[in-house]
Amino acid sequence: MSFATKRLGKELSKINNSLPPGIELVSADNFEEWFLDIRVLDNNPLYANQVYRLKFKFSAQYPIEPPEVVFVKLANRPIPIHPHIYSNGIICLDLLGQQGWSPVQNVESICMSLQSMLTGNNKDERPAGDEEFVRGNRLRPKDIDFYYHDNNV
Amino acid sequence: MKVKIKTWNAVATWRWDIPDDDVCGICQVHFDGTCPACKYPGDDCKLLSGKCGHNFHEHCILEWIKQESAKNQCPMCRQTFEWANPPHDTSLDMTQGLEGFTDNQG
Repeated sequence: MSFATKRLGKELSKINNSLPPGIELVSADNFEEWFLDIRVLDNNPLYANQVYRLKFKFSAQYPIEPPEVVFVKLANRPIPIHPHIYSNGIICLDLLGQQGWSPVQNVESICMSLQSMLTGNNKDERPAGDEEFVRGNRLRPKDIDFYYHDNNV
Repeated sequence: MKVKIKTWNAVATWRWDIPDDDVCGICQVHFDGTCPACKYPGDDCKLLSGKCGHNFHEHCILEWIKQESAKNQCPMCRQTFEWANPPHDTSLDMTQGLEGFTDNQG
């Protein structure tokens, strides 16, 4: 068993026991791809009454390498509006990039960070250049060199 | 009454000299277990303590530190990771189980 498999097995048994409010496991059929739903816990009007679907992809190097985490669009699962979330679901968050990642992070802590990233936002807008990025981007999220221009959002 | 001990087996347990319920933040395995790469806990799969006070399996933290993106930082607190010397010793605990200690009279 690889490092990633063992670590994810640990996480999964913990997740199956309990998750913080507003986070739910949708599926974890293997140790490569998991889906979770998150919602915000306050009544931020931008996200009220909405549930958002996250897709986690793990490499064999997890948790030395960060997982790839994106929002997925479904009929009842929109992509949350946020200045750091592109309309194709790609998230610009330092802790998910090579620069900000730490191997003590885990699926649960990432979900909580995303919850608070939404909760703390009051801008009803997409990142600058969203349309162009969504049209032109062929890179995997981890290969995109985001420019973290604004650490306050 | 005289007691003659014919045979006895000593059983020793050990654990790392750190708080009981700690897990390695990287692999999330209890410190008394091994890192995911190892089979046997103990000297073959040591712990490494940072001066910042955070402990990891040696194999786990070295796997991290060799990444360029780790920037030599502790995964917990992001201070420069320098190991504290010397690494934790095992502490013998002889209090448990002297099974096989027989009190055969003879």
